[in-house]
Amino acid sequence: MADVTSDHLPQSLVLPFRHLAFWTRSEGGRLAIMPGRLYSKAVFTGYKRGLRNQREHTALLRIEGVTSRKDTEFYMGKRCAYVYKAKKKTATPGGAPSKIRVIWGKVTRPHGNSGGVRAKFRKNLPAKAMGHRIRVMMYPSRV
Amino acid sequence: MPDKKKKATKHCSRNATLIKGVGRNSRSKMWAKTFMYERIKKALKKPRAKTETKKNTRFVNKDIGGDKNGGTRKVPVSRTPKYYPTEDVPRKLRSNKKPFSQHKKKLRPSITPGTVLILVSGRHKGKKVIFLKQLKMSGLLLVTGPFKLNAVPLRRVNQIYVIATKTKIDISGVKLPSRLNDRYFKRKRLRKPKHQEGEIFDTEEEKYSVSQERKEDQVKVDSQILPLLTNEKHLKSYMRSTFSLKNGQYPHEMVF
Repeated sequence: MADVTSDHLPQSLVLPFRHLAFWTRSEGGRLAIMPGRLYSKAVFTGYKRGLRNQREHTALLRIEGVTSRKDTEFYMGKRCAYVYKAKKKTATPGGAPSKIRVIWGKVTRPHGNSGGVRAKFRKNLPAKAMGHRIRVMMYPSRV
Repeated sequence: MPDKKKKATKHCSRNATLIKGVGRNSRSKMWAKTFMYERIKKALKKPRAKTETKKNTRFVNKDIGGDKNGGTRKVPVSRTPKYYPTEDVPRKLRSNKKPFSQHKKKLRPSITPGTVLILVSGRHKGKKVIFLKQLKMSGLLLVTGPFKLNAVPLRRVNQIYVIATKTKIDISGVKLPSRLNDRYFKRKRLRKPKHQEGEIFDTEEEKYSVSQERKEDQVKVDSQILPLLTNEKHLKSYMRSTFSLKNGQYPHEMVF
């Protein structure tokens, strides 16, 4: 099997869900399995810029584990999200209002030779997000 | 000679292209090449079916009262319109945009029937499912858990939310119920109770409940697939496990 996760573990540990995810109680009281991380971790390093001017419409991301321009090919077009919390509860699609908010965007092209990547978000990222986590999803998938 | 004896199979274009939009041969040459003169001769020779002379129903003789008016008059049954549009049918501009039903529904070559797919989004994210077939009308993938293993029912999934692994099982022997098509899986709009003044109707269709059809089809399909999974070592527990990324795992380095 090609999946790296269960390959190296002995048979006894390859139990359903337990080592990979955790259990939560959903609304109906049923035990639901929350999956683990399904996104790549990235950091918002700054806006696209020349030395003295910056263009806030394009964000520069550094994705963990990506160190060369060739490696960024996988992430092209992938959806990314800046997730943050605020004081007031706002509506959530298909759920109760919550304090978690998202700014969605997508990875548009590589940036430089060392695995940096450019992304455009629906709303420009706030500057306070610099140095913070951006999630790069695994979809739209081309694998 | 044009093939009349064989069944009409279309000949390729007898007019070679010089440039796009410009053919090698002129109209008169094409006339000769396609033997149009012979075809027209034959069409003319065919005995024409005799049509009965239609009774003239466009006019009606109507009696008119009053003397010195002629007694009867030919009156048209339906009046001629008093407005004629400049174009009978408005000219449609040529556009390459096709409606969704005519789109080509592509399928990634890595996705073949029996492939284990990892769902990457949606309520079943992280789960591994078996790909059954691509539905024709929508191009979505029909997928099953199997339900017993990971609670994923017979379901449609879009290709872009799916990672195809190299793990494949042979489902050539699996027979899918023929009623599994897009209409079967179409989302049902639940009627919300209308709030009338004072009255609260008891007929509330708020909750979605699994239909008996779905349960039957699920059992039918899974009973064929589960034995195929138990054949290969570890596959069953593999299907039950969920996929997630761990520290040090980077999807661009992974072979799925």
